[in-house]
Amino acid sequence: MKIVAAKSILKANDQLAAENRARFELERIFAVNLVGSPGCGKTTLLEGLFRQLGNRIGTAVIEGDIAGQVDAERMEKIGVPVVQINTDGMCHLDATMIAAACDGLNVSGDVMLFIENVGNLVCTAGFDLGEQLRVIALSVPEGDDKLVKYPVIFQRSHALIITKIDMLRHSNFSVARVREDMRRLAPNAAVFEVSALHGTGMPELADWLLARRSS
Amino acid sequence: MSIVQALIEQVEAEVEQAAQHGRVSRLDLVIGRLSGVHVDSIRFAFELLAPGTIAGTAELHIVEPRATLTCLECQAQCEMDDLQVQCPMCGSGQITIQGGNEVLLQSIELEDADEDCCREEHPEGQ
Repeated sequence: MKIVAAKSILKANDQLAAENRARFELERIFAVNLVGSPGCGKTTLLEGLFRQLGNRIGTAVIEGDIAGQVDAERMEKIGVPVVQINTDGMCHLDATMIAAACDGLNVSGDVMLFIENVGNLVCTAGFDLGEQLRVIALSVPEGDDKLVKYPVIFQRSHALIITKIDMLRHSNFSVARVREDMRRLAPNAAVFEVSALHGTGMPELADWLLARRSS
Repeated sequence: MSIVQALIEQVEAEVEQAAQHGRVSRLDLVIGRLSGVHVDSIRFAFELLAPGTIAGTAELHIVEPRATLTCLECQAQCEMDDLQVQCPMCGSGQITIQGGNEVLLQSIELEDADEDCCREEHPEGQ
């Protein structure tokens, strides 16, 4: 006999993501899912952002990596409340992990929570974590063809942050091409050019995040 | 991997909810070509994870529907295998895309429990 289900396989994750989203609203947490390739500068970007945001709003981080505490240690050094998730081989975070991590976070009041996802342009696209915003970091050394090669994750992001722009002069990376590709994939997405190490573009990015939180 | 884990749990839940018995012989999935889910990875993960579970006896059948692109400028309509950013006919970026994003467990086929099962349960009834 046949059982007709016709249900999304990702339904369980989507349901839990919806619960996460509701919890974030209740607890006044503004959650941002930060995705991007390994080495694109996500953690350095967060360090720079926390310098900008420090006095303006409470901050916290959930770090996602396959193994190790490297990123969590960097966050601890700058005094940001952090929980490190080790996925033990899984290539992306999912809503279950975020729900568990939030139980371990000790934050109160208005907080901007960054979820630094596992470095990955493929699988991270398919898993809603319950975030309010998804932003993707793309670094100059990775090349300007990534939106064409990995369109889904870019299409599903609210903002594209081009990182390491201090390296433009060593590269044939075309910012214009990336901006045009992003306009076609996600016409409503914001695009930023930053150097987290040197501070370029960081105040504008911080202002945008705060404005999104207020709206 | 986690998609296949979710799939196996979903099969367990559906069979239990339907209060049916028997061997799961076939699973029909719908995985749209724009979903970002890779069918080869699903098959590979299924081979690793399904044995020993309720889905371990099942044949996996996967349909991969295309998405439909409609151009708002030249009115062309065509099917896509990949996410496009412009109309393949006129090059306009004013396009809408429908479908192709599904990641569904469409149906589960069960082979009815056979008589051998009953004999084992009631050996004195032979």
